[in-house]
Amino acid sequence: MMNRMPALIAFAVLVQGVVFAQQPRHPDLTGVWSYAIDRAPAALKKEVNGQVVIQKIDQSARHGDASTVKGVQASTPRPAYKPEYMAKLKDLADHESRTDPVFSCGKPGIPRIGPPRKIVQLPKETIFLYEDISGDPYRVIPTDGRLHRQYPNPSAYGDSIGKWEGDVFVVDVTGFGDDTWFGEDGYFHTDAMHVIERIWKDGDNLIWQATVEEPKVLAKPWVMPARLLKPSNDALEESPRCVESDGARLLNDDHHLQR
Amino acid sequence: MKYSVFICGFAVWTLLAVASLDAHHSPSAIFDMTKHIAITGTLTRVDWVNPHIVLSMEAKGEGGKVEQWKLESNPPSWYKSVGLARADFAKAIGQTITVEAVKARDGSLYGYMDKIKLPDGTSYELVNGAEAK
Repeated sequence: MMNRMPALIAFAVLVQGVVFAQQPRHPDLTGVWSYAIDRAPAALKKEVNGQVVIQKIDQSARHGDASTVKGVQASTPRPAYKPEYMAKLKDLADHESRTDPVFSCGKPGIPRIGPPRKIVQLPKETIFLYEDISGDPYRVIPTDGRLHRQYPNPSAYGDSIGKWEGDVFVVDVTGFGDDTWFGEDGYFHTDAMHVIERIWKDGDNLIWQATVEEPKVLAKPWVMPARLLKPSNDALEESPRCVESDGARLLNDDHHLQR
Repeated sequence: MKYSVFICGFAVWTLLAVASLDAHHSPSAIFDMTKHIAITGTLTRVDWVNPHIVLSMEAKGEGGKVEQWKLESNPPSWYKSVGLARADFAKAIGQTITVEAVKARDGSLYGYMDKIKLPDGTSYELVNGAEAK
């Protein structure tokens, strides 16, 4: 029996090697990706002992243009709401300084939070990590072929399952609550919202594009503009806690001036 | 009187035009963007919180009465991106600093800080990124 052991081990290794070779090879999305959101355009002027240094913000990742990247779907800048919901949309947008849940440290949810800051790609699941002022959410996305949970508790980040379509990682998200916005300007939704995120590599960069299907309030699915993210060496850090202190001081409905 | 009011030509709104995930209110809904104040007093606390950092300080107001001011400023992530951390401000707790800010419209002792001068002479000022050279 002992004489057969090396042969058995060799056979087992061979079988595993064959199995591994037969598994489809997918691009590796693992890594930290640039913070592809706006930052305040201010620079910092530092003066020490008469020496002045201007520290500008690196905005190279700001709204990286992905429109010409292969595989990006045609998008529109805004979702199309059904006519009967236009008045509600306008009212929320007009008073967004008071009505936007994010302004009160609320969770942005999917897809408003955008692409993940870090991806950990494992054989049977992929993990998305985020940095956000409302906390630092994470999503564990099964890729083992399972279906959505039958009765997920409604949440801001929903119930996700992932699969590969060629070289594109597709995340299907359901199980939302109805208390987040899927974008600025009052983009409300119901618990019927369904989001599909598509993520793939374009050279060294990462492309993220989401589609919002909301049959109750949208006239048609909204294909969001794609985002381009660059690889980053920045380590993720715990976001400081969120303490809203301005709400009581608002004296009018002026919009914030992000864009 | 340890604080003074002057007019600032700098478009302070740029300071609050922050990221979607750091989204916050329009500064004009809270602050009088035309009135810039300078406050000299003792730094008592630094709260490194979202969506804006908050500095607390004591300063003498009219008649020598000690007033408790709170000054918010850009988000922690913004300060991180320019290489500053809480410790860069907190090292001055208990010491005299001078802050420039726009004052809240509601009359409270609250403002948006765009410049701070620390006891060692170091100053940090938020300036227009598009014009900075």
